[in-house]
Amino acid sequence: MTRGYLFKILVVMKICLVLVMMTFLQLTASPSFSQKRFTFQLNGVKLEKLFSILEKKSDYTFMYNYAYVKGHSRIQVDATNATITDILNKALPAGMYYKLLPDNLIVIVPKGTVVQDVRVQGTISDSKGNPLTGVTVQVKGGSVGTVSDVKGHYEMEVAAPATLVFSYIGYDDQEVSVTDQRTLNVTMKLSAKGLNEVVVVGYGTQKKVTVTGSVATVQGSELQKSPTVNLSNSLVGRLPGVTAIQSTGEPGYDASTIRIRGTNTLGNSSALVVIDGVPDLGGGLERLNPADIESMSVLKDASAAIYGARAANGVILITTKRGKAGKPELTYSFNQGWSRPTRVPKMANAAEYAMMNNELTMYSGVPVDQWSAAWQSLSQKGIYTLGDGTQVKAPYQPDDIQKYKDGSDPWGHPNTDWFKTTFKQWSPQVRHTLQVSGGSDNVTYLASLGYENQDAYYKHSATGYKQYDMRLNLDARINKYIKTSFGLTARQEFRHFPTQSAGDIFRMIIRGKPTDPEVWPNGLPGPDIENGQNPIVITTNQTGYDNDKRNYFQTNGKVEIDVPGVEGLKLTGTASLDKEIQRVKNWQTPWYLYFWDHTSYEPDGTTPLLTKSMRSTFTDPRLNESDDNFLNILLSGFVNYDHAFQGGHSLSVMAAVTKEKDNEDNFNAYRRYYISPLLDQLNFGGDAEKNNGGSAYERARLSYFGRVDYNYKQKYLLEFLWRYDGSYMFPEAHRFGFFPGILAGWNISEEKFWKDHVKVFNYLKLRGSYGQMGNDQVYFNGALQEYQYLSTYGFGSYIINDQVAPSLYETRLPNPNFTWEVANNFDVGLDGQLLNGKIDFELDYFYNKRTNILIQKAGSTPASAGITLPPVNLGRVDNKGYEFKVGYNGNIGDFTYSVSVNGGYAKNKVVYFDEAPGAPAWQRATGHSFGTNGNNWLVYEYDGVFKDEADIKANTVDYSALVGDLRPGDMKFKDVNADGRIDADDQVRLDKNRDPTFTGGFNLNMQYKNFDCSVLFQGATGGLLYINIDNEAGDIGNFLQYDYDHQWTVEDPSSVYPRIANRGDTYYTQGAAGNNTYWLRSSDYLRLKNLEIGYTLPVSLGHKADINSFRIYVSGLNLATWDKMKIWDPESTSSDGHYYPQGKIINVGASIKF
Amino acid sequence: MVAILLGSCSQNFLNTQPLGEVSSSIVWSDGSLAQAFVTDIYNGLGNGGFDEQMLASLTDEALFTHPGRGINTVTEGTLNPSNLGWTNNTYEWGNMYKKIRAANLALENLKIATFDDQDLNDRLRGEAYFLRGYFYQQLLRYYGGIPIIDSSYGLNQDYSKARNTYEECVDFIVKDCDSAASLLHGKQIDKGRASEVAALALKSRVLLYAASDLHDIPTAKAKSSVIGGFANPELLGYLSGDRKARWEKARDAAKAVLDMPGYGYKLDLTAPVSAEQGQNNYISIAMGGGSKASEADPSAASELIFARYFTANKDEGGEYVGRNNGPNGYHNWAGNEPIGELVDDYEMADGTKFDWNNPLEKAAPYKNRDPRFYASILYDGAPWKPRDKISGDVDPANQIQTGQYEQGGKMIAGLDTRQSAIENWNGSWSGYYMRKFIDPDPNLVDNTTRQFVPWPFFRYTEAVFNYVECCLELGQEDEAKLWLNRIRFRAGMPAITLSGQDLMEAYRSERRIEMAYEEQRYHDARRWMIAPTTLGRTVAIIVINGKLKAGATAPVPYHHDETLYNYTYTPEPDNTVENRKWEDKMYFLPISRDEVNKNDKLIQNPGYND
Repeated sequence: MTRGYLFKILVVMKICLVLVMMTFLQLTASPSFSQKRFTFQLNGVKLEKLFSILEKKSDYTFMYNYAYVKGHSRIQVDATNATITDILNKALPAGMYYKLLPDNLIVIVPKGTVVQDVRVQGTISDSKGNPLTGVTVQVKGGSVGTVSDVKGHYEMEVAAPATLVFSYIGYDDQEVSVTDQRTLNVTMKLSAKGLNEVVVVGYGTQKKVTVTGSVATVQGSELQKSPTVNLSNSLVGRLPGVTAIQSTGEPGYDASTIRIRGTNTLGNSSALVVIDGVPDLGGGLERLNPADIESMSVLKDASAAIYGARAANGVILITTKRGKAGKPELTYSFNQGWSRPTRVPKMANAAEYAMMNNELTMYSGVPVDQWSAAWQSLSQKGIYTLGDGTQVKAPYQPDDIQKYKDGSDPWGHPNTDWFKTTFKQWSPQVRHTLQVSGGSDNVTYLASLGYENQDAYYKHSATGYKQYDMRLNLDARINKYIKTSFGLTARQEFRHFPTQSAGDIFRMIIRGKPTDPEVWPNGLPGPDIENGQNPIVITTNQTGYDNDKRNYFQTNGKVEIDVPGVEGLKLTGTASLDKEIQRVKNWQTPWYLYFWDHTSYEPDGTTPLLTKSMRSTFTDPRLNESDDNFLNILLSGFVNYDHAFQGGHSLSVMAAVTKEKDNEDNFNAYRRYYISPLLDQLNFGGDAEKNNGGSAYERARLSYFGRVDYNYKQKYLLEFLWRYDGSYMFPEAHRFGFFPGILAGWNISEEKFWKDHVKVFNYLKLRGSYGQMGNDQVYFNGALQEYQYLSTYGFGSYIINDQVAPSLYETRLPNPNFTWEVANNFDVGLDGQLLNGKIDFELDYFYNKRTNILIQKAGSTPASAGITLPPVNLGRVDNKGYEFKVGYNGNIGDFTYSVSVNGGYAKNKVVYFDEAPGAPAWQRATGHSFGTNGNNWLVYEYDGVFKDEADIKANTVDYSALVGDLRPGDMKFKDVNADGRIDADDQVRLDKNRDPTFTGGFNLNMQYKNFDCSVLFQGATGGLLYINIDNEAGDIGNFLQYDYDHQWTVEDPSSVYPRIANRGDTYYTQGAAGNNTYWLRSSDYLRLKNLEIGYTLPVSLGHKADINSFRIYVSGLNLATWDKMKIWDPESTSSDGHYYPQGKIINVGASIKF
Repeated sequence: MVAILLGSCSQNFLNTQPLGEVSSSIVWSDGSLAQAFVTDIYNGLGNGGFDEQMLASLTDEALFTHPGRGINTVTEGTLNPSNLGWTNNTYEWGNMYKKIRAANLALENLKIATFDDQDLNDRLRGEAYFLRGYFYQQLLRYYGGIPIIDSSYGLNQDYSKARNTYEECVDFIVKDCDSAASLLHGKQIDKGRASEVAALALKSRVLLYAASDLHDIPTAKAKSSVIGGFANPELLGYLSGDRKARWEKARDAAKAVLDMPGYGYKLDLTAPVSAEQGQNNYISIAMGGGSKASEADPSAASELIFARYFTANKDEGGEYVGRNNGPNGYHNWAGNEPIGELVDDYEMADGTKFDWNNPLEKAAPYKNRDPRFYASILYDGAPWKPRDKISGDVDPANQIQTGQYEQGGKMIAGLDTRQSAIENWNGSWSGYYMRKFIDPDPNLVDNTTRQFVPWPFFRYTEAVFNYVECCLELGQEDEAKLWLNRIRFRAGMPAITLSGQDLMEAYRSERRIEMAYEEQRYHDARRWMIAPTTLGRTVAIIVINGKLKAGATAPVPYHHDETLYNYTYTPEPDNTVENRKWEDKMYFLPISRDEVNKNDKLIQNPGYND
């Protein structure tokens, strides 16, 4: 195959040579046909068949316009010992003429055509004017051709008239007829199939068709559809293999935790985010203005290896928009949204809560055998006399419960829904973006300004998030050889909060007794739940404020030099500066609440007399201020060499070096005893107990890396990439690691046999990759573990002589011999299109083996060793899974639509973890998966409930390690080791943890005339969440409505639901055996994540006002959820509900372009 | 450009330094840094005994109010290797060994330290010896014999180690005490650091315990079948030997403390002080010089031999004793509430036993009691600090209210009960609140203000008791009574004139009352092997009803008034919070299942392996 092709190229070269000679030497000698003789018969064949038979049987090559030849009727040939002229003379229809050219080339043309040899040359470019390399140029009907070079230039001899066919994968074929033109510049048009799409990969771009790695992409325009103010919340469901879990909705801290292909390590599983080439840029991706984003690529496999050091968990590449040459374009967009919680827990109401407390009083004060009688007496009379004569009084008397039910006494017997009282209906959020872009041939620019403001759910909320951002991207071509680009981002993020954390606030809202008022009927704030905590006040600025201002100033610059004289050689230098200044100011002032002693009244005798009292746990205002300064400097140099060889071989080589340094320092200061809550500056604080502190760190990395890309006519693709990385995290002798990756692809659909036979697939690519990446994020015990190879002492303090004396402690037993954690990632994928792009799909299977994971040998080292353990390269985790994405595009008249489904499944397995040698097999973490919250659940297995005393009597299992005497309503556990006794050995390691194993999305995009609509459904399965608020339910606080509805009671003894507990005072609600499967709930869910409906004003209307386009839209986030959990949002990771819930957002917006 | 980058990329670029830490190598060449290292070992002492959950709540001194802290796991005998229940960091296995390692490191490095201040070096080594000995003593008295690790481990060593015998552990700790005492002799010691006398006090305690019943295996076996059936009793005590010699050693060690000049508070009395003075003396000792209250004499700090101090410039848990234990009606958390058993053990002021069967005493149980009762316990009607006015002026009399009082024809719950309108879930179950370690300074609002009362690890009086106990065991009753009565005189109590077993009982009762809430009772009841009848008792609470006298009008707001109310006091057993019981396995704590799984040479304590 290849040999034949090469041969033909040689032929063409020969022709060219001959033609050139003819032209110059004015040779007129007429070539003669060979006298080779043929014998064969053909019956009713097409002309082109005849030509191809003759080509096979001889050295002749036919050139013809296919369209011309095609139209003629089938022919008969009966050749016996005939010459080629005999055959052609007979076979060609009237008016068709042939001419022999040198080198056995036969041209078929209409009679009368003047055949001349034309030397054609030109440049092939795409619609944006970028030269296209590797475009195949062929004379139609013939097989000779050439391929464009790096600059898109081609040159060839053609026997005119002829038609040249330019073909390039991802673009529509172009046909241009040649008569006598000498220069033919061609602009290729993108095919609608999207194969030409440029995909940003590590330190470069590739066309989708030549991508060999597993790369998921999403366009900025898609991300813009999500009306969330945190970009990380827009990803879920759009990128197969990317999990994003939003565990809280608190303004300022509402980011999703992003995982690429799940959890791959026992340590840090965070992906590396690279923004415009800068890794780990301050602030990450969360606060980018989606309008500034051109595209996002996620490198899921060995394609990330070029980022070596921090790429083991995958890489997210973000490219911001840049200007295009042309008339300046101004875009203004405006979004106004309203949010409210997707779900808040339903709590018991006042009457239910009162009855539950009566039950608890009975459970603790009455022997089991009297429960039945006691309950009857307590609920009817409010009191029960025990056998020994002592009395048990119900804390809530029957008439109290009646008043809670009927609402007749709002002052004394309220029925408070603390969520409802604390929240407003809808919380506004707004975003404005102003963007201008344009430029000349040499200079292009894009500038944008953004503003957003997000309020919280609370009434008079002190919580909120405000952001100002600006971006300037500038590109300038200095001369033929030098090109520069600059980027500048400035952003202020302003997070403001009350002085109480969201955790504390929601703890109180959940705990708030429905029998207590949060707000008095006259509108004044009610008493505290404890320690001054009343949500209606502690959510506001009445307690002071907690302001967190972060200023980012980020720049990057790039100079690219095409080395004159060496075609394809380019030098690039980049520098980037990432500056972050954070200022936190926490100002606490005492606050006041209103109390009623339930006996005193105003002089009118009926209005309760309220006392206003200071109820904070402190009486003097105090200020805590801190300042944090961060600077990252990143310098890189690149050498690139691209070359397209004759015959369709292209090679591109890159080598680079980069060095990076982080410096951070901070200080903080504290004063109290302010004379007035009106003075909130550090200066005005009292002198006593003032305090200050400070610290600093430095970090450095040095890396060498490169890539070699080879492809043959875009059919066979091969890529090798490597990185040699040095990190300050490791001891000097083990500091550098080499991380290679190899990727290969085969565009099967480019093969002739495929093209001829499997027409239904217009595109099919098989690709595979294997690579190694490092992880220098030595992370355990919730912290980055730096300098673990050094013997150092850290600073503490102890009180000596009534002073705080500094002290020093051994930070660790150093390990001089540890090095990189290594990710070994294998991926195989299949990409394809059917029905000319109507259907497209991407399939991936991956197998990641993480080795050398840095862990502490805490599992096997006895506590008596007394050691603070250093990291050792011991952990191993395997992670396997798949991803898919299938799409369909269609239209019915003016109605166009596309649907796509994607999903990713990842399940890991701990292969080695340091465990206690004596632990039973069924409890070992090894062999099970590992998640964001650590090892899989280790729990007792719930096995129903002791329904009654008979059930307890029949029980043969010993529960004495958990509880003295069993009582009805107590929980049963499985005796896993069958030793007749429930103890710690009966805990089992489950096969699940908190993280979902499967995340998927369903996208639907529709357009009808000026209307457009997009819908995203998203879901996740495979995770379990532990939900149990009993620690603070009972006499101290409220229960879930669920607990009221699902409990063992005297009247309705259950064998399924346990008896309620007071502050978790049963063995099955708290402590060792409180970890049991009863409290685990599936977090599977499906939700209508995103919906957008837009209308674009007709162009005619716009023109009158010089408006290019004007679009209005409504959108929504988390609009509907289907799940099994039913308590709070299924994306939540909270076990007690002490968190700010995720939001549902309704948004209206408009975008206008001039 | 690339060349420039490459050129500047020397490998030194990656040699960053930890800016928040100091290289261990320079620490031992600098006296102040070396001192800072030794100072940190003291952090193994935690908050002393001032954590929210106090050891008193594992004993017949107190009950912990809030469920869900794992305390009932211990007191109900449910504890086992896989369910340890509440274990404080001041004796927790891993925490102790971390600090023991630090002491070992200090001792090893000080031996080769290069700073040239031998005096300082000696003192620091003395402190390290003391601390190592103290932490081993903590482990020993909770767990029995433990693995003695006397040098710091390196990487990849075999960390498994068997438990040393009880005797070996005692000898080791005593040796550390001796080393500490001789190194610290004559040294200037800052407040908070260990001194020579601290080392002597530690030695006294360890030798006293070593001589006690629980650690004399023949005695212990006779008293407990669980210990009797244990295959490795050498881990728990002396298998044989001369008990008398052990008592003598203990007596001499205690006497060595008593002979140290400058310690002790008002122990030279020959007759009882007034009740009021006795109460103030006791308050002064409890405050340890850390209170500004008028009744607290700062010079009582001389009682403290070794203590954990607190200061305004560092916010630590031990400063919240008032909030953690004060009454709920003051917006405090009740925490470690005294129980009836403790209250009943305070004698009458005349030295007779309090008796519920005595109608006069039953009618007015809080009258004429040991002055230390008033300094230790908050009871119904007790005058206390100004009550906050948060809910209005609900108690202008500033008295504790733990009863139900008749008002407007029905019974109204007192402000400090579990039916109170103020934070009822924090109310006391027993009807009492701890007062002893709460700073009585009226300017300190416990709910919002910290206190700076030191925790006494060793006070002079403990050594006196140790001396008295040894003397009694050795038959030297006069010497014992001399010292015992000095303690009583200081408290305003009359002399004890008993002898024989009665004297021993009186001694034990005196020790219980004087040292209440000081982490003594838990150990004393065990080493005396009286735990089944003391620690294992059902919690006793008090039910108080105030009925209006005929024709009397209820005061509004309520205050305690015996002219208007007839008060009745009914003690009741109560299992509501804890169903206490004693099992002999509880003489020693279980070693955690995880630790045994990691160190297969460990032998579990008796009663935990079935």
